[in-house]
Amino acid sequence: LSGQPSLWWIDWRLSRTPLVRETIGRFLFFCLLGFALLSLLLSGGVRRFLSDRYTITAVLRAEVPSAEAEGLARKVAALPPVRSAAYRDPEAAWKEFLRAYPGLDPLRGAGGNPLPGYIELRIRPDRLTRADVDLVVSALRSVSHVEQVLAGEEGLPRLLRAGRLASWVCWGIFGAFFAGFFIVGRLQERARAVALAGDFAFLAERGVPAGRLAFLRAAAAAVSGFLLAAAGTAAGGGALFLSLRKFPFLEGVIGSPSDLLLPRTAAAVALFSCGAALLSAAASLLGWRAARSGPE
Amino acid sequence: MTRGTRRILSALLAAVVSLGILFPTAAPAARDVARELRKERGRLLKMKEREEKTALELTEALRKEKLSKGRVGELQALLTRQRSLLSRIDRQVSALNERLERAEKAVRELEAAHGQARTDLQRAEVVAFAGQRAGAGDPWSPSARERERHFMRLYLAADAEGIARITRARERKAEELSGLERQVAVTERKMAREKKVGDTLLSRQEEERRRLADIEREKKRKAKELKSLRAKIARMESVVSRVERQVKERERRARKGAGGSAAREPAEAPRRFASLSGGLSAPLTGKIVTRFGRQHDTTFDVTIENRGVEIEAPSGASVKSVGQGEVAFAGAVSGFGNVLIVQHGGGLFSVYGRLETFLVKQGEAVKKGTVVGSLPGSPSGKSVLYLELRAGGTAIDPTSAIPLDR
Repeated sequence: LSGQPSLWWIDWRLSRTPLVRETIGRFLFFCLLGFALLSLLLSGGVRRFLSDRYTITAVLRAEVPSAEAEGLARKVAALPPVRSAAYRDPEAAWKEFLRAYPGLDPLRGAGGNPLPGYIELRIRPDRLTRADVDLVVSALRSVSHVEQVLAGEEGLPRLLRAGRLASWVCWGIFGAFFAGFFIVGRLQERARAVALAGDFAFLAERGVPAGRLAFLRAAAAAVSGFLLAAAGTAAGGGALFLSLRKFPFLEGVIGSPSDLLLPRTAAAVALFSCGAALLSAAASLLGWRAARSGPE
Repeated sequence: MTRGTRRILSALLAAVVSLGILFPTAAPAARDVARELRKERGRLLKMKEREEKTALELTEALRKEKLSKGRVGELQALLTRQRSLLSRIDRQVSALNERLERAEKAVRELEAAHGQARTDLQRAEVVAFAGQRAGAGDPWSPSARERERHFMRLYLAADAEGIARITRARERKAEELSGLERQVAVTERKMAREKKVGDTLLSRQEEERRRLADIEREKKRKAKELKSLRAKIARMESVVSRVERQVKERERRARKGAGGSAAREPAEAPRRFASLSGGLSAPLTGKIVTRFGRQHDTTFDVTIENRGVEIEAPSGASVKSVGQGEVAFAGAVSGFGNVLIVQHGGGLFSVYGRLETFLVKQGEAVKKGTVVGSLPGSPSGKSVLYLELRAGGTAIDPTSAIPLDR
């Protein structure tokens, strides 16, 4: 290419203003998409939400002392699928129960507290499966101090199915947006190719092969797509970080901000950026071809 | 026969002895006196018979009184026992009533607690239903709701168990109550029965007391009569004694008039049993059951003067003369049965009463140890001999002159 004008960023040189607008638009889009991607990555769809909502209750026998119950809770917390295990003594159970049924308080003044203590377990979001739940439940049932295990056996399959469905929907929406990005990108590329058809014809008359022009345009689109996706995702990640810090309740749904810095998150972002680059290149090529074949 | 009567009879006996001995030997000049004596003796005997009859009646009255007192005492003891029993039953009834009251209170409390618990349970059920309908707890927390439902089941089960416990306790108390009521009814019936028995006893006691009062009156009357009779007898004795002295005086004069050996003989006669020739021996082998002298009779609560002793011996035992002498009298004397009197001379006499048979006759000489009679038979195998010693018209304690088993 030495001695000849560079065909890199030819669009940028030939049509600067529209391309700036497109770039800004794509960046903002990738910001949103990156925010969504990171949210989905951290939350695992709705798994984190479900794992926060779903708990296993190990109802202890009435005669179990608090010290032993707390020891048991620590042991249970060490199980791989278990995210946390907290012991609630009978008094706490009674207060919680009365909060749920406030009308009962005066009805049992003389009878005392009939409720035992319990251990509340939460499963890791990534281990919220039937197998892991069964593992924990069977482990709890083998303990003599445990009177009964409440694992929502009736509703658990439904819950897991709903979780899976919700995750698919989330990822589907995300994919749809990504696909939308591809479609819009193709249309934009075609429109630009049509707009710059005269310039490209001029270059062709002067011996620049059309394929080379198309390749270089696609390569430029891929690079810009990668960079925009990476930058937009980074910006979206920053916004997510700030949101999680500002609104802690979101942690229960999305996850901890510190998870954003995990290598797997970064790898996912890189993969996403690569995907964006590929889609950008594909959109450029398809838009070129569409412009060359005439009006659609 | 009473001991007082015996005392009187012994006095009479002495008079009779004196007369029985002296009269046959009295001088013709003393016929008037003898007649008077016979007359007086006849009167004395009649009075004695009356006295004996009165004494017997008095004895009967005393026996009746004793019997009646015994009955009254028995009835009193029965009444005391009955009152004690009634009091015990009354205490039992009180205790049972107290227990009954406590049990009733407990049942009432349990019923109230049962009602309250049932109401609470119903309200809890309403609260549970409303809570479930309204989505108790966070609807986004199915596990928490499941736990709350489980706890609600535990709560309701505890309430139901509480009601069941109260129901059981109430049933137990109700059973106890009905048992107590039965017990009270039984005890009250028993008390009514015992009260009836007590009333019967009381009426019997009252009746017995009235009878006792009648007997007391009768006894007093008889005692008064007896006292009057005894006074008369005493006066009679005095008369007889006076006559006896007169007889003796005449005898002494007659001897003085006759002079010589006849007058000397009585003068030489012993005046004390200790100086009796040959000494004295026991009339039979036996035990003294009534002592000589002033004795207190616990039966009639009187002090009596015994002129002799009573010796208990086997039935049919032979009675021997305590010393040498002559039978002065052998005949029946009212109150003493068959009486034998032996004159030992010098104004000494031995008297044997309550004999069945005489083995000697009046005027017959006897030696010490001569069998003079025998005691009567008795179903108990024991009979009593009355023995009296008289010296110079005075009764002396036979145990002071004769060795007798006490």
